[in-house]
Amino acid sequence: MHPSILDDYALKSPLRHKNSRLKLAIVAAALLVGISSTSPVAPLFIALTMSFASIRLGEVPAGFYAKLLAPPLAFALFGTAVILLFFGSGPEIFSFSLLGQSLGATVEGAELSLLVLSRTVSGTSCLFFLALTTPMVELFALLKGLRIPDSLVELSMMIYRYIFVLLEVAISMTHAQAMRLGYDGFLRSIRSFSMMAGTLFIRSWEQGERLCTAMDARCYDGRLSLFEEKRPVKAQELLGACGYVAAIAALAYLTRGTALI
Amino acid sequence: MHIMEGFLPHPWWEAWYALSLPVVVYGIYRMNQLVKERRETLPLLALAGAFIFVLSSLKLPSVTGSCSHPTGAGMGAILFGPAITAVLCLVVLVYQALFLAHGGLTTLGANLFSMGIAGPAVAYLIYRSAGKLKLNFYISIFLAVTVADLATYIVTSLQLALAFPSATGGVVGSFYAFGAIFAVTQIPLAILEGVVIALIFKYIIQVKGDVMVRLRVIDEKRLGELKGAIPA
Repeated sequence: MHPSILDDYALKSPLRHKNSRLKLAIVAAALLVGISSTSPVAPLFIALTMSFASIRLGEVPAGFYAKLLAPPLAFALFGTAVILLFFGSGPEIFSFSLLGQSLGATVEGAELSLLVLSRTVSGTSCLFFLALTTPMVELFALLKGLRIPDSLVELSMMIYRYIFVLLEVAISMTHAQAMRLGYDGFLRSIRSFSMMAGTLFIRSWEQGERLCTAMDARCYDGRLSLFEEKRPVKAQELLGACGYVAAIAALAYLTRGTALI
Repeated sequence: MHIMEGFLPHPWWEAWYALSLPVVVYGIYRMNQLVKERRETLPLLALAGAFIFVLSSLKLPSVTGSCSHPTGAGMGAILFGPAITAVLCLVVLVYQALFLAHGGLTTLGANLFSMGIAGPAVAYLIYRSAGKLKLNFYISIFLAVTVADLATYIVTSLQLALAFPSATGGVVGSFYAFGAIFAVTQIPLAILEGVVIALIFKYIIQVKGDVMVRLRVIDEKRLGELKGAIPA
């Protein structure tokens, strides 16, 4: 029942040792191209290449990747169904009546929903690429360099550290409750869940107080210094990245306004 | 309720970023002030943020069978006020996007506005006004959290409707459409979360009520009354 956290895979990824600035730049560029494209062609291409990069270069098992992609995809389909049924004018593709209301899809609505779906898939695969190849610890140093206020970065680092501690506590408490039939029946589940969460809050509060003492003892002055490993970008990698971004931007430009239906 | 990466088209995702940014800046300013006053604030806030993340990544026992996660943002607002909750939610939302693929980076602004700003602001207002009206403590928490959840859901529907107005009914038409579809899961969930958070507060007050007094959620007198009311 351990929730799968993508960061675990990032720590094992072979792409972890590439420059994180470069990876972030590629992902940001691909996200922007995907979202501003007016035709589904470029987003679909980005989705394919990003998934390929995660699976082949990042060595993420393909089956696991598909499992990851399924829930966001299901949610996206749900959302696009609404767009399909309520948006657009022009020739109708089909229509039916539900509870006395007639619902139908038009060509324009179908085009828009396909576009939104492709953008979502493209964005999600970009996000997965970043999440599966770049551990959060590598990003902190980058954030400090981006002039994000120190207190915010410090807060994020401490939150990151304690997510795993608290998750473990929460899971073992839930197991203990389940062993004692704490999740048998709906009302009892609610009671057990709240009791677990309340205890978790108290535990985290006490942990926080102990953390203060520990950090004071080590002369914490509001700034944890980070050791950032130097990972120079190879000319080859930089060229490849620029080529990729130029290619997707060109594709988005050339196919602008093209509809698949 | 997270809006997926890539779901919001061009002017809208930037617009929600622009709306959320000032609140976050103000939140960071407030947080820095607090940290300067009392240095132990930062670790405690960090633990609270981690708690919100863990709470939101655990599955609630749910009636509808859908994947339902309590957001914890309403609780944060009651404990720390809406400005600081916005900062905590920003960090939590980035982690949710990167670790769990909930939400996204381009839709971060919109998600932050609905879940980290609108919801907590409503929760805070209701909790404070219920306190003035001398409403029962647990009922006021339930109301604050439930209404905040509903506010989040309404704002999300509005965000989607503004981006995708329907051909016949315009923004209002598609607002009803998105609203009706999400209502199926969101209304029971809002009530459920209200109950759960109220119970969480009950356990915290039983065991460690002094934390609530220190955070100025309740005063000493109220704590005594509440503790007296719970049979030990």
